[in-house]
Amino acid sequence: MRILVAILTLLAFVQTAYGVEKADVQIGLSSETIEITSDFDGTDIVIFGSIEGGDRQLLEANGYDIVVALFGPREEVVVRRKERRLGIWINGDAMRFSDVPSSYSVATTKELAQIAAADDIKILQLGLDNINVVKEEGDDDDEKQTAFRESLARLKVSQSLFLERIGGVEFLSPTLFKAKLAVPANVPIGKHTAHAFLFREGKFLNAKFAEMQVRKIGFEQFTYELAHKNGLLYGIIAVLVAVATGWLASVVFGKD
Amino acid sequence: MNIYLPIAEMSVNVFVLFGMGAGVGFLSGMFGVGGGFLMTPLLIFYNIPPAVAVATEANQIVASSFSGALAHFRKATVDIKLGVMLLAGGIVGSAIGVAVFSSLRQAGQLDLIISILYVVFLGTIGSLMLIESLNAIRKNRNPETATPPEVPSQQSWVASLPFKMRFERSQLYLSVIPILVLGMLVGILASIMGVGGGFIMVPAMIYLLRVPTNVVIGTSLFQIMFVTMFTTIAQSAANQTVDIVLALILMVGGVIGAQFGAQAGQKLRGEQLRALLALIVLAVCVRLGWDLVSMPTELFSIGAGGGH
Repeated sequence: MRILVAILTLLAFVQTAYGVEKADVQIGLSSETIEITSDFDGTDIVIFGSIEGGDRQLLEANGYDIVVALFGPREEVVVRRKERRLGIWINGDAMRFSDVPSSYSVATTKELAQIAAADDIKILQLGLDNINVVKEEGDDDDEKQTAFRESLARLKVSQSLFLERIGGVEFLSPTLFKAKLAVPANVPIGKHTAHAFLFREGKFLNAKFAEMQVRKIGFEQFTYELAHKNGLLYGIIAVLVAVATGWLASVVFGKD
Repeated sequence: MNIYLPIAEMSVNVFVLFGMGAGVGFLSGMFGVGGGFLMTPLLIFYNIPPAVAVATEANQIVASSFSGALAHFRKATVDIKLGVMLLAGGIVGSAIGVAVFSSLRQAGQLDLIISILYVVFLGTIGSLMLIESLNAIRKNRNPETATPPEVPSQQSWVASLPFKMRFERSQLYLSVIPILVLGMLVGILASIMGVGGGFIMVPAMIYLLRVPTNVVIGTSLFQIMFVTMFTTIAQSAANQTVDIVLALILMVGGVIGAQFGAQAGQKLRGEQLRALLALIVLAVCVRLGWDLVSMPTELFSIGAGGGH
């Protein structure tokens, strides 16, 4: 994350140094916390933003492009591949990646390839193919690495954790835009970061961040935290609940 | 209506789970079996992570075995001394099982081992039950050819083992070794498979330990209740895989289903019912087995990377 911030600052600095453009982008989120309750089944988050100090004519001609991305907390992930041994499909090769965004949702004004050069898109980690994941130690060949990397993204997509909405950024006026990003039911808990990237005619100009917390509240939060911080006590409570249910059943139904 | 499971971290349909709990509860009430060996695979088919399914099922069995054990306790059909010895083995077994569970999980092979164990156990038990019930049906049709049930011979290798102990309630003078080993085996199964283990313990107590049949069920329920209690706590402490919300839905469904099952069981013919249960068990076994040998549509899987 820190590397990304450094790159962005550098890129923005290079742009301003050339004195081409002083346009900036500002964003705000429809909610800064998402609370997971027992009936949580996914939601949407709306990111509002405006382009400030942009060239008026260019603004009216839709010359600016916006990419909005929401990154979930970074995590370490093991990708495993099944192979057939003795007629049974079992987990064989495994590859470990760190710094993987646990969720990732991106919306754009148009196709990424039309917004900026491939290298910029890659450096900024935009789009499902460019999410930066760091492979941990081990000297696997490139082909294998690619296969595992692609599978990681594919699996995240199939779990609705990675999403791409081309054209998902909508202009409300020449300077105001909004993007609706889906937050799936299985959204990871923790600090999510929304990024808005401003482009002008294929050049990256500027970016802004906003943070969003996803947390469980009430009973869900209590249960989850107790289970992970004091598993012993949680287990004892689970047993007591079971004993109470069993006892209640024998009171209600049991005569013999 | 969907409900969010705080430990499995997924949104599930509460009526589907309640129905599964009630359905398996019905079968277990009808046949007098625990039901864990059907519930855990069903949860896995419903995409509950196997690690959560197994540990949560142990929690559910606490509830069902508690009401059963209480009833037997009131009727004084529990050999407490024998139960405590079985339990001592069970706790050791459960502790071993939870440790094995953790390391298999880290190695990424837990789901596989759970499936293989289920295929082996369900396959064996289902086949034995089917053969036994089909034989019983045939004998009932031709009562002349019926042979008297086999009486287990009194001489057995079990009788020659050392460290004997007297069990007054069961009127037995018996080595503690097979008792501890049996208890331990059941404890391992409770923690790795999420089953009570009655399907192994009951026949072993009758045929191996020669425990009088009137105390067998009560004593095994006594052991199962405490072993699953220990397993629930150990799984929670070591693996954080017990989902209390999931367990509660299954418990409530299970105890209600079991009541109707018990009533239905009294009106229906035993052999046909056992044949039916055997077929259900074999169907679950075939489904799990098929998933192991057929080419998966997705070869890759992802898991949390914590712990090197």
